[in-house]
Amino acid sequence: MNDVTATEAHCVRALAAKDFMSGAHPIWCPGCGDYGVLAGLERALALHGRPPHEVALISGIGCSSRLPAYTNCYGFHGVHGRALAFATGLKLARPDLEVITVGGDGDGYSIGGNHFIHACRRNVDMLYIVMDNRVYGMTKGQPSPTTEPDWDSEIAPGGIGLRPFNPLAVAVASGANFVARAFAGQPDHLAQLVVEGIRWPGFAFIEVLSPCITFRPEQFDWKAKVRHDEAMIQNDRAAAIAATLADDGFNLGVVFKGERAAVTKPSQPIAPLSDIERQFTVGT
Amino acid sequence: MTAGTVFLRAAAQAGYYGLMTQLFGPQVRGGEAAALVQISTAPIECQPDRFDLFVALDWDKVEQFAPEIPLDQSSTIISNPADGAVPASIAKSKARLISLSMNDPGATRLDKALRGKRTNMFATGVVAGLVGLRAENLRIALAQVMVGKNVDVMEANTTALAAGIKAATALELGFKLEPTREMPRWLITGNQAIGLGALRGGVRFVGCYPITPATDLVEWLAPELQKLGGRLALAEDELASINMTLGASYGGVPAMTVTSGPGLSLMVETIGLAVAAEVPAVLIDVMRAGPSTGIPSKTEQSDVNIAIYGSHGDAPRVVLAPMSVGDCMTTAEWAVYLAESLQSPVIVLSDQALGQAQAVVDPGLARPKPLRRRTNGVSPGAQFKRYAIAADPVTPMPRPGSPGYQWVGEGLTHNEVGIPVGGAGAHVAQINKRAKKFDQFEPGEWWGQTWGQGDTAILTFGSSVGPAREAAQRLTGAGRPTRVIGLRVLSPIPRQALAQALKGARRVVVLEQNHGAQLYRHLLGNKAVPVTTESIARPGPLPFRPAEIAAHLA
Repeated sequence: MNDVTATEAHCVRALAAKDFMSGAHPIWCPGCGDYGVLAGLERALALHGRPPHEVALISGIGCSSRLPAYTNCYGFHGVHGRALAFATGLKLARPDLEVITVGGDGDGYSIGGNHFIHACRRNVDMLYIVMDNRVYGMTKGQPSPTTEPDWDSEIAPGGIGLRPFNPLAVAVASGANFVARAFAGQPDHLAQLVVEGIRWPGFAFIEVLSPCITFRPEQFDWKAKVRHDEAMIQNDRAAAIAATLADDGFNLGVVFKGERAAVTKPSQPIAPLSDIERQFTVGT
Repeated sequence: MTAGTVFLRAAAQAGYYGLMTQLFGPQVRGGEAAALVQISTAPIECQPDRFDLFVALDWDKVEQFAPEIPLDQSSTIISNPADGAVPASIAKSKARLISLSMNDPGATRLDKALRGKRTNMFATGVVAGLVGLRAENLRIALAQVMVGKNVDVMEANTTALAAGIKAATALELGFKLEPTREMPRWLITGNQAIGLGALRGGVRFVGCYPITPATDLVEWLAPELQKLGGRLALAEDELASINMTLGASYGGVPAMTVTSGPGLSLMVETIGLAVAAEVPAVLIDVMRAGPSTGIPSKTEQSDVNIAIYGSHGDAPRVVLAPMSVGDCMTTAEWAVYLAESLQSPVIVLSDQALGQAQAVVDPGLARPKPLRRRTNGVSPGAQFKRYAIAADPVTPMPRPGSPGYQWVGEGLTHNEVGIPVGGAGAHVAQINKRAKKFDQFEPGEWWGQTWGQGDTAILTFGSSVGPAREAAQRLTGAGRPTRVIGLRVLSPIPRQALAQALKGARRVVVLEQNHGAQLYRHLLGNKAVPVTTESIARPGPLPFRPAEIAAHLA
């Protein structure tokens, strides 16, 4: 992994994680993985070094989507599943801002699945962090796209019986160029990945295993299952997809880096409006 | 369509006003089509009761257009003898038939393949000759329409045009127009006019998804936005396009999305978000016949309900409608100012009839005064409250990047700071705050317009204003004084201006092109018109014609 402690040239102020805390009290349950993600994100933003007012955190709906208000950054908490689209518009209009989208597995992979695919394709320069707990927590425990097929729940007795969605493989296949997995229980490692993702020129995607202790208490064991895997694959999408399909979902680190160019910044004005109006004139 | 465009442009060159309506088959992607062109010495703002001249380039699938091309015994049909007899759907008009060979008899198959059949340019020459346009006007118009074509094609078309003009000299049909003076005018479609108005208003970001009949609007905008340093994003669907639009707007850039009914249906949830989070956004709905896929290429005014009321919860917003092709410019520019100054979604209901009509209009229409977004005015030192309850319901929304004012736009019921809360107090306070913006909204002179003073009032909007005005003129001329009230603001209802406009009217009729009388019920339900008000409401896609309206009122 790259050394991310050095700040970029335009990030001159020394910042601490607390500079990014809003002081608002999260609604999350005690033991929720999202606390670790929030802590890791605040550390990462301090490491990155751009002040809170230059950062915008965009989210949809769900437990994890409450995150923007817990930071001291600009932010927007919109409708379910559309955070990536909102963030895309914001970044295209305001390339000077640091745009980070956050949300959960239901928000990003189910109702927002189409936007996930197209954000990977479009390659606008922003970071997308998904806090994946493999359950709809806000609505009290329904299986999400990443839930194991045999997980028993009230709405799907005996299990949903569907093959889980593989976000990393989909991201690589859809054209993402920075694809990584982190764990909420290791906020320092998460912070390193987040800084790298923020500084990545183009769309960066980090899937974070973020346990839901309330509806998925068995996820408490995730901390024993995760392992670091430095076998990052460069450019070979087929190999990266094969690797992400083959692993058990607990390898942490950057999975894939590609070289596809990011969407370019908008052009400078080259004509006044009066020039544009001239095309409509007829007659003398 | 090229034939119609060249003819209309040549007439505009010569100083005539004109309007061209395009008819396409239902399949959108091309194929059979008809161009309906009207030329006059006075501005034209509606389709006519009948056409004088029908030129058939071929008879392919003409029956599907016949109801939209009214002909009668005094009309004239020109067709190629080689194309066979006039189909029954057209022949039943009993119009006079003139057989005229419009194909070049000397053209080989290779000629035709290389340079086109050119029947359309020959026909354009015939029509231009019949009405008395000069060859010079046609030459300029052709060069403008064919810009970028190779020399061979240009030459072949010029030759065909000249041949057509010559052929017309042998016909004496009495279609010569009164002479007119060349005047600088604009030739523009309603969709282009909306796009230009939005650019004038300051829109520099557009999020969109292709949909007929709105696609040509964004196709026109894309390169023009780039010239101005703006950007158009082609989204993956309308859910994305409206959310991209809100994202750009949150970033401080005036933003717009462009769609038609099915797309607007998909956007409805996010309209509620724009209301709750108070984010400016302009939504253009170029209406088409619905519901569901309906008739994508044909017009209807049936999205009034969804535009005004579409959302869960209490979600007031501004809904506007342009009253003519030229007015598309004014209304779109004003829409941007209202969205920005009220921090609200503003929906503009255009329709296919306006959007895809090309009209000769007078430039230099009055423009609304710019209104800007309130981004400052925060007292220093105090905690910034994005959604403060204050005397002015429009509260500052600092641009992201401004130090010290970080705020989170929020779709959940929130307190004054913007933090989600579940209690009744904040919910009611914020609903009242947002409602107050619209209660206080005063559209001034831009509310709409009244024409005439008769004691019968036709109250209408959008593309129905034109035929209503023509009908009112005829009724007034026949001794039944009739006024027309066109509403540019459909919601919130401009009560004072409307009451003033209705003063002295003994009979009020609301005219609209949908089956459910959506505008009538909106106005009546809000007690904005007398209980005795009548309704003329019928679905599209056929346009209202002046004679139809006059007959209703007689």
